[in-house]
Amino acid sequence: MNPQVVIDGLIAGSMIGLGAIGLTLVYSILRFPNFAHGEMIAWGAYFAMSLSALIGAVIGGAGAPIAPFSFGWGLVLATIIAMGLTALLALAVDAVLFRIFRKRQSVMIIIVMASFGASMALRSLLEFIYTSRPGYFTRELQIAMPLGGGMRATPDQLFALGLTALLVVFVHLLLTRTPTGRAMRAVSENPSLSGLFGVDVDKVIRTVWILGAALACAAGVMSGLLVQIRPYMGFDLLLPLFAAAILGGIGSVPGAIVGGLIVGLGEALAVQFVGAQWRAGVAFAILVAILLVRPTGLFGRQA
Amino acid sequence: MSAPVIETRQFIAGYERDLPIVNGIDFTLAKGEFVAIFGPNGAGKSTFVKALAGVVPVFGGEAFLNGEPIGGLKPHAILKRGMAFVPQTENIFTTLSIHENLQLAAAPLVRSAQGPAIRRMLDMFPDLARQSGRLAGSLSGGQRQMLAVARALLLEPSVLVLDEPSAGLSPKLVSDVFSTLREISATGVTILLVEQNVRAALRIVERGVVLVDGRLRFDASAEALSSHPDLGALFLGADHASEGAA
Repeated sequence: MNPQVVIDGLIAGSMIGLGAIGLTLVYSILRFPNFAHGEMIAWGAYFAMSLSALIGAVIGGAGAPIAPFSFGWGLVLATIIAMGLTALLALAVDAVLFRIFRKRQSVMIIIVMASFGASMALRSLLEFIYTSRPGYFTRELQIAMPLGGGMRATPDQLFALGLTALLVVFVHLLLTRTPTGRAMRAVSENPSLSGLFGVDVDKVIRTVWILGAALACAAGVMSGLLVQIRPYMGFDLLLPLFAAAILGGIGSVPGAIVGGLIVGLGEALAVQFVGAQWRAGVAFAILVAILLVRPTGLFGRQA
Repeated sequence: MSAPVIETRQFIAGYERDLPIVNGIDFTLAKGEFVAIFGPNGAGKSTFVKALAGVVPVFGGEAFLNGEPIGGLKPHAILKRGMAFVPQTENIFTTLSIHENLQLAAAPLVRSAQGPAIRRMLDMFPDLARQSGRLAGSLSGGQRQMLAVARALLLEPSVLVLDEPSAGLSPKLVSDVFSTLREISATGVTILLVEQNVRAALRIVERGVVLVDGRLRFDASAEALSSHPDLGALFLGADHASEGAA
């Protein structure tokens, strides 16, 4: 086995894991699989690309690479603003779509279909604005550094891994150590009782959209930095995201990231051993195998 | 007479607008009172208190808490105005620890007041204090009720509303829960209680009201209710006839 599979798998897995955190949080609080979550990844990347270009045009030198990375501080600033814009987009979609169905207490399949519709509309809008031609944050070429054991990675890839670790620790601490996290865990267990405890459930729902969208944006920027930016980039990640969220156990942040890494590694192994066309199939075979042994996922609660 | 803590006028509530379960209830609860609501199954007892707490939709009439209208407000807004409601089941978060349940309940307080409020509850319920790090899901039925009452009292509400706190408990635990409620009432807390366990409840409350078919049919002191000759047959349904008359 080529040991490079491990690095490739971890990098793909970290992007999947970050996206899956938002998906799993929305599922555990709002009780529906949000198929429009992939579009938050794509919109986040496009927001960051546009803002990065704007910042570069207004402030000279903002786009100059910070060695050893391929990007400048303009992209860092653009990503932070893009996370806010993606959160606003998620809140807007909730306000004009999901909140209406929640108030009507619509059955889950209607909300799922609405999320499909939102996904298509958001993706079409991206194509309309940016066309389907791929975009890039930078045209800089990077040389992969040897890491030992036959593995190599570019500085950008190591940055993506480090940023994922930081974001996961941040979200984990937020959920386990802060009043906001306690309120989120409470709403996840019992929304009706949460209100009786004084929790503003609508505020918790807004927090979940903001958090999920901001993380999706980060995943989109990483994907754009390491691969390319396309309107379908989020949609293509959607099934691995679901696989990671289910594999890790719905509602579990550590589960989503571990699930993401397993799916990423599974895909990388599939590419090496059985061919790239079997990538998704192998990831799902792992998913099914684990769920047969542990139906609640790796870190999920027993019903 | 003291000012009413809860007052309803022609209060209508339920799950479907065309099929209200509570059908125009006029009810008053004075400050410091300890009152129980009785009635046969399906009378609308639980729906009435759930609607007061904002859990069930209100379709008509008026409800006031300390003179302020609360009809149609969300549960967290009603709690903020001073009514703490303890549901019959699923009244604590089983995946949080005892301490986390109390921390969550204390969140509406300013940060500096949260610690003392939690300590006050742990002093009041030493059994909970001894195991505050334990997951609430691992507690016994009686301990869960105590935690539910503790979290409700934490914000020092002007009224504590409980929906069948004795449901599913052994006679010993029912006795423990009721004596705790009597002690809480003795400190001046206003309590409204929905109960099926009529005999035990009449021993601790001051007044009882009886609902039948979503309407208030009887309102009397606990003493008068206990000695009412036809109470069981008329108001408590066949299941409780012998108990109510006892």
